[in-house]
Amino acid sequence: MKAVSKRVVVLLSLLAVVVSTALAVSLVARLEAPASIRDLGKYYIANTRRDTSSPEAVTAIVWDYRGLDTIYETLVLYMAIMGGLAISTIARKVALKTRVGLTSITRTGTRIITLLIATIAFSIALHGHLTPGGGFPGGSALAITAMLIIPVYTLQSLLDYGVTSTRLVATRGLALTGLGLVAILPVIRGLEAVTNLRFYPSHVAGMLISGSLWFYNFFEFLAVASGFAAVALYLSIPEELYREEIERG
Amino acid sequence: MSEVIATLILLTVALLLSVVFVYYTITEKDLLKAAVFSAGQSICYAILLHAMAAPDIAMTYLAVSVGLYSALLVFVISKTERYEA
Repeated sequence: MKAVSKRVVVLLSLLAVVVSTALAVSLVARLEAPASIRDLGKYYIANTRRDTSSPEAVTAIVWDYRGLDTIYETLVLYMAIMGGLAISTIARKVALKTRVGLTSITRTGTRIITLLIATIAFSIALHGHLTPGGGFPGGSALAITAMLIIPVYTLQSLLDYGVTSTRLVATRGLALTGLGLVAILPVIRGLEAVTNLRFYPSHVAGMLISGSLWFYNFFEFLAVASGFAAVALYLSIPEELYREEIERG
Repeated sequence: MSEVIATLILLTVALLLSVVFVYYTITEKDLLKAAVFSAGQSICYAILLHAMAAPDIAMTYLAVSVGLYSALLVFVISKTERYEA
């Protein structure tokens, strides 16, 4: 009881510090963002539609105005995931004990939720040039389905469906190759890399794809989803298998 | 005007609630509960980002910090002990 009351006292004093700091910053110091940065925002709002044919300014900035930044960012994430997988790989084929998953109520619920998450993930990614979202949030949302299936249906069932780590890593490699190709293709017509509308069409079959933005979103979606799913697969390998592997040398 | 005030109240509540969640995450000895509190803090931040008209960031933040990050923490806790000594 005494520990609980001490916790509450600390928490209340913490909240008091937060509130008083917020009041001090806004009322006494009067810190405000300089008005000059608004011009940058106004430029993007006024010109995004003309420059990139996308109504979504954030996706346009991420993949068009600052496209090269994002491509290097994707590379960094790729290196990080590959590094993580490299130290956690078990070279030999491991025989997983097929354990039973959770109860049928959980299984049915997970089946419905997984379908919903996957649908939303695809719509976030493939609509990324029209509505908020894009490749990265869509891919992370799709990877969550793998993280739901593994505890509920066991890892073995996912492997039986053909979702193996080798295939996921291969998908990731292919998707990143596609991403690089989309960025480099304009060079063959003498344009600079990461060119958008001067090389890619803004509409395909009457549908707005905003040039290269749709392709970037699609490949990023595949890369992020397969990368995070591969991480989940490796993390769910039981610890005993790793211990055996270390003892074998 | 009333819309602005409502947004401000939402911001204040979400911000203070996130402080509460962070404090409970740090002091909790049951690591699984701590992971849940951490997810609660992430939800507060997602509300903040959405209230400040940044739906793109809110979406990414939700997927990564509520979904992936929490799942990652649960996987990692399953490899070690659940209770902090």
